[in-house]
Amino acid sequence: MTFLGYERPNGSVGARNHVLVLPPGIIADQICHFVRGTKTVMSADSGSGRTRNDRATIARTWVGLGCNPNVASVIIHGASLGGAYPELRADTLADRIARTGKRVETLHVEGDDTLDAISEGIRRARAMVHEASKLRRRPFSDACLSLGVKCGASDTTSGIAGNPVIGYVFDKLVQAGGTAFFGETTEIIGAEHLLAKRGVDDTVAHAIVDAARRVDEKAKATGQDIRTINPVPANIAGGLTTLEEKSLGAIHKSGSMPIQGVLQYSERPTGRGLYFVDNWMTMTSIFMGYAAAGAQLVLFQLGGGGLMSDAIFYTSGGVVAPLLWTTANQKTRDRAGWLLDVYSGTVIEGTETISEVGERLYHTILDVASGTMTKSETLTRITPNQVYTQEPMF
Amino acid sequence: MYVRMNMTSKRALILNAKDNVATVTEDVEVGDVIMAALERDLRPVTAVENIPFGFKVALTNLAKDAPVYKYGEPIGKASQPIRKGALVHIHNVEGLRGRGDLARAETAP
Repeated sequence: MTFLGYERPNGSVGARNHVLVLPPGIIADQICHFVRGTKTVMSADSGSGRTRNDRATIARTWVGLGCNPNVASVIIHGASLGGAYPELRADTLADRIARTGKRVETLHVEGDDTLDAISEGIRRARAMVHEASKLRRRPFSDACLSLGVKCGASDTTSGIAGNPVIGYVFDKLVQAGGTAFFGETTEIIGAEHLLAKRGVDDTVAHAIVDAARRVDEKAKATGQDIRTINPVPANIAGGLTTLEEKSLGAIHKSGSMPIQGVLQYSERPTGRGLYFVDNWMTMTSIFMGYAAAGAQLVLFQLGGGGLMSDAIFYTSGGVVAPLLWTTANQKTRDRAGWLLDVYSGTVIEGTETISEVGERLYHTILDVASGTMTKSETLTRITPNQVYTQEPMF
Repeated sequence: MYVRMNMTSKRALILNAKDNVATVTEDVEVGDVIMAALERDLRPVTAVENIPFGFKVALTNLAKDAPVYKYGEPIGKASQPIRKGALVHIHNVEGLRGRGDLARAETAP
């Protein structure tokens, strides 16, 4: 099957055609306020006071977003607080992104005057957006697509219908030659043995079990029952009783294909197929990580039965990757259906099968990849994101 | 086994033959007969308390510490005896993983 995308110099194919401005901060913000067609990240984390590993993660995330096929060209400014660390220097970031062959410009201004940097950035961003607009979409195979998924505010409809429908889509995409990411290491605890069986080799199987064990050990070190943390209150209010129950439902979103590898947050895979990402569940982090790993589109499979409000819908977590919402909970659909992209609760109602809804979702994904907006994409608001760092701050 | 369907019967889903709980797919009131379906196989259970949409009902009596199965896998153990037809949730089931509270108890002097 095909979608209409933008071809990049390295052969990757974008579902969008953004100009990205990084690192986060006032300069990037103001350029993006002024120039349509631009994107940036809203984050307070510059990398300052972070360990080498955490700085490497931050750098990998900014570089990954720049390399994402949805990005036509990139501006990197040199005025970030963390920008004096070697791995976060503007030139270093720009060089790494430029390997994709796309246009990358660094913004250094005489005397490092912030207002001068903003005005110069606006001039360049306008030129880059104008240039990008000359590109035309052409048909490409769905094998060029990468998807990332998170299940959230999960309830018992998630494991029974919502996640299995995502799993159907993942299987179909992987069989077509595409790439799919799932993760949320806390939410494989109790189900890791089932995922390990699907590792392509023993190394992958062990890496999956090890990832779950590390989180289990961290949980034990807190001295708290993990159920007072995760499953989160919305999960419990939606009928999920233990972390194991949540995990056993959550892994259905991975489908049934072999798992090619275990990736770190925002790490780009070396091949195609299905990957487990050792990441953290929060929507302010996970979607940006998938986008940095190359996903052109990210999916949020919502339970929602235990949610206190619909504020969760007003997010832009994927930064350059559109966010598509699904739910299988009829009460969530009745309450907030106009904010959602695909409803899969018909599986529970018995009026559609998992494969029927899965086909519907797959076509929606190809439509979105071809330019149709997701519901959340119609918002101008940019929500804060956080890079998933794991080491102490100093 | 022939089971008479009537207006008060409610739906629930059993996800694996090994499971001892089912997920109700509509709000259930005490006294309702729940037809818990494992594919086409229907198992009746009478609710002994109200069970909201999406919550779990016990398909058998469970002794304290008995494993609770869903998806054919253990999701925890009964923290107290659970009657057939009762709501199964955090008040009568505890998880076995990520139990920092127990780890602390073990290492306490």
